[in-house]
Amino acid sequence: MRVFNRYLLALAMALPAAAHAAPPENTVVVGLSADASTFDPAQISSRDNSNIAKHIFATLFQVNFEGQVEPYLVDKTTVSDDGLAYTFTIKQGLTCDDGEPLTAEDVAYSFNRPADKALGFTGNTPGFVYTTLGFKSAEAVDELNVTINLTAKTTLALGMMSQVFIHCKDSYEKMTLEEAASNPIGSGSYRLATWDRGSQIVLEKVKDPGNFETIIWRIIPEASTRTAELIAGNVDIITNVAPDQVAAVDASGTATVAKVDGTRRMQIGFNLGKGVEGMPGAAEIQDPKVRFAMQYAVDVPSICSQLLGTECTRMTSLVNPPNGNPDLVPIPYDPDMAEKLLDEAGYPRGENGVRFSIRLQGPRGRYLNDANVVQAIGQYLSDVGINTEVELLEWASVYSPLLRTKEMGPLFFLGQGGVTWNPLYDMSLFSTKDGATNYQSWTDQRWFDDWALAIDADTVEEARPVINRMLKLFYEEGPWLQLYFQLDFYGVSNRLDWKPRRDEEIDLFTASLK
Amino acid sequence: MWTFIIRRLLQSAIVIIGVTLITFTALQMSGDPTYLYVSERATDAEIQRTREALGFDRPLPEQYITFLGKLAQGDFGDSLSYKRPAIEAVMEALPATLELTLFAMFLAIVVAIPLGIVASLNRGTPVDGSIMTMGMLGQSIPSFWLGIMMIMFFGLQLRILPISGHVPFIMPLVQGNFVQAFSSLPQALYYLIMPGFAVAFYSISRNARLVRSSMLEVLGQDFVRTARAKGISETAVVIHHALRNAWLPVVTMIGLEFGFLIGGVVVVEMVFSWPGIGRLVFNAINQRDIPVVQAAVVTLALIFIALNLIVDLVYAKIDPRVKL
Repeated sequence: MRVFNRYLLALAMALPAAAHAAPPENTVVVGLSADASTFDPAQISSRDNSNIAKHIFATLFQVNFEGQVEPYLVDKTTVSDDGLAYTFTIKQGLTCDDGEPLTAEDVAYSFNRPADKALGFTGNTPGFVYTTLGFKSAEAVDELNVTINLTAKTTLALGMMSQVFIHCKDSYEKMTLEEAASNPIGSGSYRLATWDRGSQIVLEKVKDPGNFETIIWRIIPEASTRTAELIAGNVDIITNVAPDQVAAVDASGTATVAKVDGTRRMQIGFNLGKGVEGMPGAAEIQDPKVRFAMQYAVDVPSICSQLLGTECTRMTSLVNPPNGNPDLVPIPYDPDMAEKLLDEAGYPRGENGVRFSIRLQGPRGRYLNDANVVQAIGQYLSDVGINTEVELLEWASVYSPLLRTKEMGPLFFLGQGGVTWNPLYDMSLFSTKDGATNYQSWTDQRWFDDWALAIDADTVEEARPVINRMLKLFYEEGPWLQLYFQLDFYGVSNRLDWKPRRDEEIDLFTASLK
Repeated sequence: MWTFIIRRLLQSAIVIIGVTLITFTALQMSGDPTYLYVSERATDAEIQRTREALGFDRPLPEQYITFLGKLAQGDFGDSLSYKRPAIEAVMEALPATLELTLFAMFLAIVVAIPLGIVASLNRGTPVDGSIMTMGMLGQSIPSFWLGIMMIMFFGLQLRILPISGHVPFIMPLVQGNFVQAFSSLPQALYYLIMPGFAVAFYSISRNARLVRSSMLEVLGQDFVRTARAKGISETAVVIHHALRNAWLPVVTMIGLEFGFLIGGVVVVEMVFSWPGIGRLVFNAINQRDIPVVQAAVVTLALIFIALNLIVDLVYAKIDPRVKL
């Protein structure tokens, strides 16, 4: 019995020490909601996965905290007169993790490998990055110079190239696809030390930049458990803090919540296409005056403060600040104005107080507090006489297929990702009338005529007058009831000096201990 | 004996086919999995190409037969989200779930049986009342809520137990790394305490009530009175006479317990970030990762069937009256 008691005492002394195992000073620990699925640079598709990979793989360019595209591996850039060929001189003395020198041939290989259809990659790079970039081919000119060829001129080029992870040819040619998925040979500051699937990923520093010797990404799917780990001091940063847990974190004394307006643009889309023909409300929203009137009916700041737990700014267009039209001001909550404009548009209240009926669909659990936001919007619209029937649907199996086939709506809640480095990227959702991302089937010819002009300009500055004209049109007659930029909540330990970015990238290169 | 085993194996094959058919049909009905493979900006042509390449455009019966053919070779296809064989992902997650389930089973037995015996021996007293009240509570409290409360109390307030995480024990054992396995055992148990108890709490409560009622039934029988009349000590009466006879329903219960516990770990694995098969399946369902769900469900079904077979054999061994 005495032995047992001694064992219990030893255990009691040991347990608190182990439970309080705060990260050492040379280590930063990040709690994520989802594990990585692969470290093959051509196969990565999720934001969490990409956030880890960007510490393993360097890129030609990177988007900095302020949203500017700046060189990373590149020393010098030359663009051909027709804008179809970019020649980059890379820095001297670069290497991959296995010691192999990183040359122009490796850069060309890093661009050509994802595009190789025979390998069947399905990541972001061969998907939307190359589609938007108009990638054609890459070729090494000499040891340090590489040329990337495009199919069309675009001011989006450098920003899209900043998404392509650079890796060394010799290492990857020796590996099978399965080996490449779990044994990355990087060109960046950190190398993958261990990957306990579903549990944690450990990176070790191999070169500058980087203020920590070790980065640990812990997989903690449950939001309240992530919060508890942060408060207990076991992790330094957590993503997706639930709004109802913000007060607990701020009151903990060990961490605070950092809020940031993200680049995902939340909207009520007006489905103007054939997918909703004949449905109640579908004909009414074809009138731009009705769409504009409805903007006044929704109190966006109250939705943010009451349902999302923070202040936010109502969007004025589909372009992320600071790239929008500075002359546009957020539409205020003014239900009287909404009613007046609806009367003028020819939709007065009937005897039962209803102007017309419409269905509003939204996902449940896809975006921050989405179900409550959608229900509130439905109530605001009903208050001005638009009898709104709210329908909440499961994202993956129901809502997403409806979006793909453009059969949701006539009103539908949606968040679409954007960037801070180029307004045309944000506007490219409406690059064609029947494009996949034109879920609203908006076909205003004035917009598409101007789009052709804007995309043909040599620089964004040159296109600015056209962009501003387009954004004004979007503001007054566009296919979105504009809401807010998705708010992102990060829990940050008091020991850490780190600021969240708007683009959902977790950049630990600049993080340091206080 | 062999006739019984062969008959049970044939029954098992039918169950497995039923399991595959149900999971295949249910998951296909939840939507087109092609969208998991393509980007948000994919064109209709790209989507169609991907659908054809993956075989999702073929008739469902054809897809099912293809699936069964591959299944016979141990091939569940590649995970849609992990881009590697689905069975690999399942096999990697299985040891963590087995650790949690076996530990919970251990708790459900070693805690429940003494509690049930004590309650039966103190029938009608405050001790009995306390144990039965705990039993009522245990069967009323959801495991995820209990898990969160334990995290709040033991993890955040007292800070004596880890909030989340996992130290592997079975995987190093399977890999033959015995030194690592046994040196990590104390840490593995330390991380198991809270999730294990959260999973086991319902079973502990239910089993304690079962043992109590079973013991009460046996304690009231003539042979126990006779034993007591012979002057045999109360300890001997309880252990050698009563418990031995009260054991049969408990053994049956333990066999079923595994399936019950493995079903209960899904939520607890999410709460404690336990990298097991429950969490894997939960995520796979959310992502409509059909191959992983099918591989996990079939694997669990096989384990459950094998365990039931073993329990039946053990049952027959304990009670010779049972004919196989």
